[in-house]
Amino acid sequence: MDLTLELGKVIRSINWTFIFTLLNFALLVYLMKRILFKPALAYIDRRREQIASRMEAARKSEATATALVAQREEELKATHEQARRTIDDATARAERIVSAATGDAKKEAERILAAARRRIAQERTQMEADLRRAYAEIAVLGAARVLDREIRIEDHQRLLDTLIDEIDEQALMVKR
Amino acid sequence: MLEEAQGVVAQISGEDIAAAARYLAAGLCMGIGAIGPGIGQGIAAAHALDGIARQPEMEGALFRTMIIGQAVAESTGIYSLVVAIVLLFVV
Amino acid sequence: MLDHLGEKLIARVSIGDFVVRFDLITIIMSWIVIAILVGLAFYLRRGLRQNIEEKPNRIQAVLDALIDVLQEQLLSNFISTSLARRMFPFISTLFLFVLVSNWLSVIPYLQSPTQNLNVTASLALLVFFTSHLLALRRKGGRRFLKGFIEPYPFMLPINLVSELAKPVSHGFRLFGNIFGGTLLITVVSAMIPLVLPVGLTIFFGLFIGLIQAFVFAVLAVAYINLAVES
Repeated sequence: MDLTLELGKVIRSINWTFIFTLLNFALLVYLMKRILFKPALAYIDRRREQIASRMEAARKSEATATALVAQREEELKATHEQARRTIDDATARAERIVSAATGDAKKEAERILAAARRRIAQERTQMEADLRRAYAEIAVLGAARVLDREIRIEDHQRLLDTLIDEIDEQALMVKR
Repeated sequence: MLEEAQGVVAQISGEDIAAAARYLAAGLCMGIGAIGPGIGQGIAAAHALDGIARQPEMEGALFRTMIIGQAVAESTGIYSLVVAIVLLFVV
Repeated sequence: MLDHLGEKLIARVSIGDFVVRFDLITIIMSWIVIAILVGLAFYLRRGLRQNIEEKPNRIQAVLDALIDVLQEQLLSNFISTSLARRMFPFISTLFLFVLVSNWLSVIPYLQSPTQNLNVTASLALLVFFTSHLLALRRKGGRRFLKGFIEPYPFMLPINLVSELAKPVSHGFRLFGNIFGGTLLITVVSAMIPLVLPVGLTIFFGLFIGLIQAFVFAVLAVAYINLAVES
């Protein structure tokens, strides 16, 4: 085996370089695949899987959280509902109490009014009785005065007028 | 004068003529062969620019496609280069 | 300087009558590329040591960004995710190998392995055979062979030529771009040795290198797609 060097032309020399390059390149592909690409791709795949699983977990926990929030909301709504109902109840009861009280008050007022009317009526009859008695007295008085005075037509007339006025006044007062 | 010229002519061998023809042919081959790819690549670049101007967000894909198209259009120019190289160095 | 343009060093190893010729420099350069990539792989692998639960460290962020870019830009072009998953190491290594090879020429005294036709053609043929083996395995023998006489049986020669043109254009494209760039830089440096070659080196080495590596990988994906689905 001996090695010699010679000069060749660019294109004319398709030679064993061809085969050697093929071998070199095949070796390089094998090495690159072995050293770098296979582990790198596996690593990237693993990372992607992990990211996917993380995402899945995150999604799941988010779903749980959402469900929890919804449940809380539901509970809150229920509580609100209950509170409202309680308030409604209270309001209704208060109204009932108030209306009852109002009814009592009205009845009381009516009772008072009726009593007042009764008393007024009583007083009135009393007063009418008094008045009647006063009429009688006045009539007696007038008669006495008529008898006392010297009788003159004009006097009589005046006296009677005065008397009627007095009676009228009395009657007005009574009426009032 | 004539004799002198005749002497020069007599010195020119067939090999010299062949070499001259080779150089001439190589030059013509490269010069004429470069016209086609030049025009073709220009058209490709022009239309790629049109496309990029219309849709700037597609620039990456357009540029990539343009480069590939230009590289393919360049083939004929490369063939003429190869022929020129063969003419110069091999024949 | 330009006298040696287009010449390269070829090692000739003879074992008895059997003679093996290869481009010594190209092989050394591709070994350098492989060493860089394996070193990078070992470095990035350190990012995987830590527990998943922890915050990603700096190396891991770089690794994530790298794999993101590869998946977003290259592997997303596959017709199915399972295929993308299976072809991930191959396509990624193809892209990284071509990329680092293209960028290697930026460093002085080093040259890109991809400026050698042997390298690009072997990679293109590898893609070609990979795509058709995948198609064969996925579709079964009869449907695979039937794919060549579609839509009409007389289209068989055209289909064969178009199939065979794919690896040729695939390999020659990368080779032509990188070798053309190198050639241009060499010629321009011989004429104007100052300043200009730096810009050219950056343009051809870094920019064209990146674009071509990307195109090479994307076309590999496209060819595999075409073979598998049609």
